[in-house]
Amino acid sequence: MSKPKIALYWCSSCGGCEEVVVDLAENILKLAETFDIVFWPAVLDFKRADVEALGDGELAFALINGAVRMSEQEYMVKLLRRKSKLVISHGSCACFGGIVGLANFSSKQEVLNTVYKDLPTVNNPCGIIPQEKTEEFGRTIELPAFYNTVKSVNQVVEVDYYLPGCPTTPELITDAIAAIVEGKLSGKGAVLADSRVLCDTCSRRDSKPERLTIAEFKRVYETELDPERCFLEQGVICLGPATRGGCKERCLKGNMPCRGCFGPLDNVSDFGAKCVSMLASLLGAKDPQDIKKIMDSIPDKAGLFYKYSLAVSLLRGKVNE
Amino acid sequence: MSERIGVYVCECGPNIKDALRFNEVVSYAGGLDNVVFAKPFKLMCSAEGKELIAKDIARHKLSRIVIAACSPREHEITFRKVLEGAGMNPYFLQIANIREHCSWVIKDPAAATEQAKRTIKAAVKRVVYNEALFSKEIDLQADVLVVGAGIAGITAALTLAQKKRKVYLAEKLPCIGGKVGRFAEVFPKLECASCMIGPKLDEVLRNENISLLTYSEIKEVTGFYGNFNVKINKKARFINAETCIGCGACVKVCPVKVKNEYNEGLDERKAVYIPYPGSLPNLAVIDRQHCIRFKKQECGACQSVCPFGAVNYADADQIIELKVGAVVLATGYDLFNAASLPQYGYGKIDNVYTSLEIERLLNTTGPSAGKVLLKNGESPRKIAIIHCVGSRNKKYLPHCSSVCCLSSLKFARLIKKQLPDVSIVGIYSDLCLPGKDSQAFFESAREEKSMEFMRVNLTDALEIKDRNGKICIKHTALAGPAQELESFDMVILALGMQGNKDSEELIKIFDVNKDNSNFLVEENALLEPVSTVTKGIFIAGCAAGPADISVSAAQGMACAGKILSRLEPGEKLKLDPCVAEVNADLCSGCKSCIGLCAYKAISYDEGKKRAKVNEVLCRGCGICVSACPSAAIIAKHFTDKQILEEIKGYCDK
Amino acid sequence: MEDFKPNIIGFLCNWCAYSGADSAARAEMQIPENINIVRVMCSGRIDPQFVLQAFKEGADGVLILGCHPGDCHYKEGNYNALRWYALLKETLEQFGIEEGRFVLDWVSAGEGDKFVRITRDMVTKIKLLGPLTLRKD
Repeated sequence: MSKPKIALYWCSSCGGCEEVVVDLAENILKLAETFDIVFWPAVLDFKRADVEALGDGELAFALINGAVRMSEQEYMVKLLRRKSKLVISHGSCACFGGIVGLANFSSKQEVLNTVYKDLPTVNNPCGIIPQEKTEEFGRTIELPAFYNTVKSVNQVVEVDYYLPGCPTTPELITDAIAAIVEGKLSGKGAVLADSRVLCDTCSRRDSKPERLTIAEFKRVYETELDPERCFLEQGVICLGPATRGGCKERCLKGNMPCRGCFGPLDNVSDFGAKCVSMLASLLGAKDPQDIKKIMDSIPDKAGLFYKYSLAVSLLRGKVNE
Repeated sequence: MSERIGVYVCECGPNIKDALRFNEVVSYAGGLDNVVFAKPFKLMCSAEGKELIAKDIARHKLSRIVIAACSPREHEITFRKVLEGAGMNPYFLQIANIREHCSWVIKDPAAATEQAKRTIKAAVKRVVYNEALFSKEIDLQADVLVVGAGIAGITAALTLAQKKRKVYLAEKLPCIGGKVGRFAEVFPKLECASCMIGPKLDEVLRNENISLLTYSEIKEVTGFYGNFNVKINKKARFINAETCIGCGACVKVCPVKVKNEYNEGLDERKAVYIPYPGSLPNLAVIDRQHCIRFKKQECGACQSVCPFGAVNYADADQIIELKVGAVVLATGYDLFNAASLPQYGYGKIDNVYTSLEIERLLNTTGPSAGKVLLKNGESPRKIAIIHCVGSRNKKYLPHCSSVCCLSSLKFARLIKKQLPDVSIVGIYSDLCLPGKDSQAFFESAREEKSMEFMRVNLTDALEIKDRNGKICIKHTALAGPAQELESFDMVILALGMQGNKDSEELIKIFDVNKDNSNFLVEENALLEPVSTVTKGIFIAGCAAGPADISVSAAQGMACAGKILSRLEPGEKLKLDPCVAEVNADLCSGCKSCIGLCAYKAISYDEGKKRAKVNEVLCRGCGICVSACPSAAIIAKHFTDKQILEEIKGYCDK
Repeated sequence: MEDFKPNIIGFLCNWCAYSGADSAARAEMQIPENINIVRVMCSGRIDPQFVLQAFKEGADGVLILGCHPGDCHYKEGNYNALRWYALLKETLEQFGIEEGRFVLDWVSAGEGDKFVRITRDMVTKIKLLGPLTLRKD
């Protein structure tokens, strides 16, 4: 009997999610034994036409990483949806728009101008910006359309399961695939990670007191970071209390506070908003001066709170554009 | 999700009907999703209106009710009762405020019509997600603990003590009656304090429903309103209370002399002692701090001389465990420490006395048989009474202590009766004479010429100096020769009142708050002066702020009233269902919520590492709900989903 | 834009602010239309998510009204609201939400006039700013 077929695809991505598949190490051989990987642009030389040639629903699953902001990505994501039984959003970009989603604070024009004209290292005297169609030497060259707004994969197609994280962990991928193989998946739409936030498994939890009254947040370089105490107790912002667990606190174990890459729990509709409520509950300030002091100690609030989730936040990005 | 909503649009006479296109609003409401019908009615809060709802619930098998009418603050409770009476859960009601927030504030009928439509739609969308809520009932303890057996504690205990309810009255001293028990006379009638208070003290001792625990301290309190568990340490008297008759034979033979705190240190008592003549209960007590037996020395003098064998050296402290439903803290006051104001010379200059010391000098049970004398045994000829010592000063006690002007007048009148030739000068900046009787009291003092008054700008700019045996008072805020006031034989300091010095411990044990003057903090100064934010812990008398005897008595009774009306023996405690609830499956123990609750209703379970809400204490404000980054806490009747639906209803085009 | 009647979602606490709004009505004051009031028990209950959801659903402005500091029916709930409001407001600046669209203020039960003034000022300001439009695809 032929092996079940699977596909891996990357949209707007840094490649980190592909790395984590490689991080399966020897288990990748098991993956290749169990499945027939019929499409994986990062690694294998199959083409779009190979996917188009598949029957609808022929793929057991498609593991899609990266955010969607180009027409080609939208096309591929929709194609893979048609051809797959299950679509898994792999990584924070696919799940939430990821860091790529921060582009939603700028307009398409601002992004293109910055990248192709304004950066100090750019040498583009004619101010040429990539176009969707260019006529040259009697031929038409096409580039994918560059959308104004970055989207998560589930804002384009229906997603069956989510593997959050920037990147996720090889263990979570292994568990997910094992669940597929054994037919032990949770209900559709589930996030394949912990059902509680990071504090539940964090070894620093016991050192967090029941009431904090932080007067001013410290940046990570402004203080000695105690490797055992709760970061919030040390006055350093950690988004662990708002972030789904499952990563085994790898950043915290590296003595760095959590930045929220696993996104929120199911009942939360806006991750950044919950970061705001959580941090506000740790403050003691009552009068305007004290409040200003705290505000001034967080230089880029939106960038911090929405680092991975801007594209799926309630406002999705800058308004009134 | 599909519901059967009945919408009632109230005309409210002309108030709503004439302000908008009424029929259009009714027909709009009738066309909304899940709405079975929308009915107009002239006045929903009338008997007919209420009857209509009740009938319709059965007739149309309604599952939700929306009433578009006046503010929910007017009639939400009224209509909830109607639903309950008709067999529908009262929380299936939603009120759309189309009067105060629409008809009455938007003049243009077209605009008011649109506003009414939006408001009704918001209520209709929201009500679909309203959930049935039920008032839980829990068992309660009807017994009460009163801490402190001064005026406030005694009046509370006596008011509370009745059949089917026991009152435990705990007092840290070996005797009851508080400070007033050691006063000579009290204002405004100058009646004898012990005569006034005596009958009450007797009643406390005799009342079968009052269990008096003297010489006792509260060690631990756990639990919450309706169900407190209290541990009390009843200290060993080393005297058998059943056999001792207070004859004082033991006191005579005791070799140890100690400064007598019951006479404010003006004389000495023995290590085995009776607090003061007439103190109740009439029992001796051995002070283990000073008795030489406890310093490993041989002595059995008191035991050998006791005719009743009441001395028991083998006595031991006893831990008493009680279950009570509520606690009254009536722990009284302490005077501001005169020694911390060196300019008044207290403790350095002879014949500078505190108000409490004068109370004892004036009392025939005191150190000088009621005679006001100088340290050298002579009678004073010129006395200064300085008002507001420590009070009304941001550095010490910011408040007016409310009783000292009157007690100063009292001292003047009493001393003048004793020593008709004495000259008494009251040095004050303002006089505090509140209430019905104080002005008359003051005028009597003036008529009797008990006291002359010298008004100065600030009484804390006074300096008291010893000049050749005479006490000289300087007023440093005045200039030049005017600085030197007259010289006196005796100075009485009318010291300010602050909360009991044990308040630091008390607040930890009972989970209440205190202010910078050590007074326990009430829930609301105007309308909840005897409650605290900790449900079930009440405060009365000087423990809560400067108070005279009538205020202390009134507050003691008020605490009793609050307790009697809610904790009825044999009944259950009904809980408000609109509280917060933690979903332990989602709670990660991040503790973001714990410190936010003013009522300590949410706590962290160290064992399970989860937050937990105590439904008895929760007031339903929702602060913990908003703070929870896991959305693990639900605010019943104000859930995220319900509020989102209301927003959607307003915004839907 | 003459027709533009800014949609303002107002979260009002039951004890002070909601009563304040009621009392404005009893004193026959007038407020602009399209002030849409959501009643909560305490301004501290209001979740930053509600604010964003209101903007997402079509609100042009969001107003939060609670008891004056020190007067909160639940002691200090309003301070909670004050703190997350400050943090959310600065965060929303980066989203391009202009000054005047997101307002927090204190209204006591007797300050019907203040309620009227706040709502009128907010509507005037937002009329100049125009409707809030969310990011398009």
